[in-house]
Amino acid sequence: MSGGFAERVDAALADPILKLAVERTAGTAEAKRTLAIDAFADFEAARDRAAAIKDHVIANLGGYLERFEANAVAAGAVVHWARTSQEACDIVIGLCKAAGAKSVARSKSMLGEEIGLPHALAEAGITRVETDLAEHIIQLSGERPSHIIWPAMHKTREQVSVLFKANHRDPHTEETIAAMAESARRHLREGMLAADVGICGANFLIADTGAVCTVTNEGNAELSLVPPRMQIVTAGIEKIVPSMGHAVHMLRMLARSATGAPLTQYTTFYTGPKRPGDRDGPEEMHIVLVDNGRTAMREDGLAEMLRCIRCGACMNHCVVFRQIGGHAYGGTYPGPMGAVLTPAIDGLAANRDLPNACTLNGKCQEVCPVRIPLPTLLRGWREKSWREGLEPKATRAGIGLWAWAARRPRLYRTATATALTALRLLGRTGWLSNVPLAGGWTRHRDLPKPAAESFMAQYKKGQRQ
Amino acid sequence: MTARDAILSRLGGTMTPSAIADEAAALLVAPERPPVAMTALEETFAERLALPSVAASYDRIADWSEVPEAVRRYCAANGLPVVLCLPPDPRLTALDWDGVTLHDGAAPDEDAALAIARCGVAETGSLVFETSPEAPMLPNFLALHHLVIVPTLVAHLEDAILPGAQPRAHYWVTGVSGTTDIEGTYVRGAHGPRFLHVIRLATPLKR
Ligand code: SF4
Repeated sequence: MSGGFAERVDAALADPILKLAVERTAGTAEAKRTLAIDAFADFEAARDRAAAIKDHVIANLGGYLERFEANAVAAGAVVHWARTSQEACDIVIGLCKAAGAKSVARSKSMLGEEIGLPHALAEAGITRVETDLAEHIIQLSGERPSHIIWPAMHKTREQVSVLFKANHRDPHTEETIAAMAESARRHLREGMLAADVGICGANFLIADTGAVCTVTNEGNAELSLVPPRMQIVTAGIEKIVPSMGHAVHMLRMLARSATGAPLTQYTTFYTGPKRPGDRDGPEEMHIVLVDNGRTAMREDGLAEMLRCIRCGACMNHCVVFRQIGGHAYGGTYPGPMGAVLTPAIDGLAANRDLPNACTLNGKCQEVCPVRIPLPTLLRGWREKSWREGLEPKATRAGIGLWAWAARRPRLYRTATATALTALRLLGRTGWLSNVPLAGGWTRHRDLPKPAAESFMAQYKKGQRQ
Repeated sequence: MTARDAILSRLGGTMTPSAIADEAAALLVAPERPPVAMTALEETFAERLALPSVAASYDRIADWSEVPEAVRRYCAANGLPVVLCLPPDPRLTALDWDGVTLHDGAAPDEDAALAIARCGVAETGSLVFETSPEAPMLPNFLALHHLVIVPTLVAHLEDAILPGAQPRAHYWVTGVSGTTDIEGTYVRGAHGPRFLHVIRLATPLKR
């Protein structure tokens, strides 16, 4: 999707199929997560621990990376370092070319999307077999992922059926989702078994063993990585955990937050290439450690964002994401985490709208398994954007007022109470169909009526109880 | 400056290595996790296997010599030809496979593969595997029916961790290959196994 953020949002809001498709998958994910967390008695304490593990790693990241590198090398892997997405792509393409690779099997990796690997492979004339079912769908439709866990959540079964019939050698004849998945199974298996190189990301890098951990429901990572003679891992430097024990804790959090399962179906730790006598596995294993803005985030007040384990819970629970879907965000990462990450990776000037695509209702922070204060980080971007003069004049005046009032808490509370009362008066059925100055939003959608009291008022009450 | 040096030069910490190690260890003390009663390992494991996200079938045998019969039983119940991909593990190759057609390299459209898990995990219903010359990995992902012998159980995932040097691959299987990528609808057998069958071996054999 092209155009500016406002145009993309307009297009998304006007698309009735999109809203339905997003609502179906995100709604199911929300319900499953709730069940899983209700069944886990100490989840709140577990979130504290998960955040503390990540903070510990981020604070000592240099040492942990060196330890990971030493252990991975001892196990026979080759470790490469990339400052930028360009450097990372150059390394991967160089390895593929050196191996004489004509085709690569790729197991879904958001980092691969972030660094533009699909594009780089196409430019190098290397056939790319996307093996995750959703990635396969969007490869066929020539789109980008619209969600970090369900990249094709914006597609309906009818749309998928048309794509498969046009592209699969032996497509489904029955119009069921099971038959479509079977068609993809037949089609992709050949590509996976014939690939020269398998490329994946990493959910975790284990410092004290040098292992790379991948997590999939489909088992496509293993089928993509075991048969080819070379395995290439591209991983963000923040993916480190100290040991397997720490990985276990993070895996418990990841599966429950993403899909509501106690553990994802296939969790694999790869340590170096094939060993003597092994019947399968790659001859070579390469690991590309990618910075691409992460050291800068650590230095510039965004260290907390490096805790992110890419579970997708924040977007599943975001009222804005549920209305506009992932593509409207315009970057690799959508939803609340994307609104924080994209300006850090691709620059604020081109993405200054993203931190504004947020109601600051705090839902994302409530569900984040590593307690990332997403609303606070988003507010940080808003302030920076304002300081750097990137906001249009009218907005600057508005934010100036807000900042002035926000620094005077009593006045701010009076003002928000007034605004809440006004909004409640406008709302008849619980949804607001017309709000002054918010026409861009309410033209296609109703705004949820605000809570009877502001969060601060409710919070204070809660504190007194 | 190399990319490596450029990145690492910006990532220095202030803590000493021993302080880092202490903090890392402290972060593992008394982890929050689903409770598993040591007295109810078998029951808990069987319950987890029945969860919709795992959905494994379950059989129980008392001795390794009963493995071929358990396989025949499964094939018969599922209308499968009695053809099996068998890893070159002496605990399996030594058995009497009369009436079962065996091969040890998995075909791209393999029907059924048998494997031995090092252990099962009661917390999640996971099956724990490691690669070795006797335990190839690919058959367990190619076959439509994944049959797994489970000789021992542990309570939690932490108990399944291998200390020391790691094998090429260490993997936990907690269900079958599934996808919810089309309209969030769950479909089994996305790429790999559509069926998982656990054969719980109650008396472990000494190797
Ligand atoms: S920000 Fe938190 S909730 Fe969102 S994807 Fe990252 S870890 Fe998950």
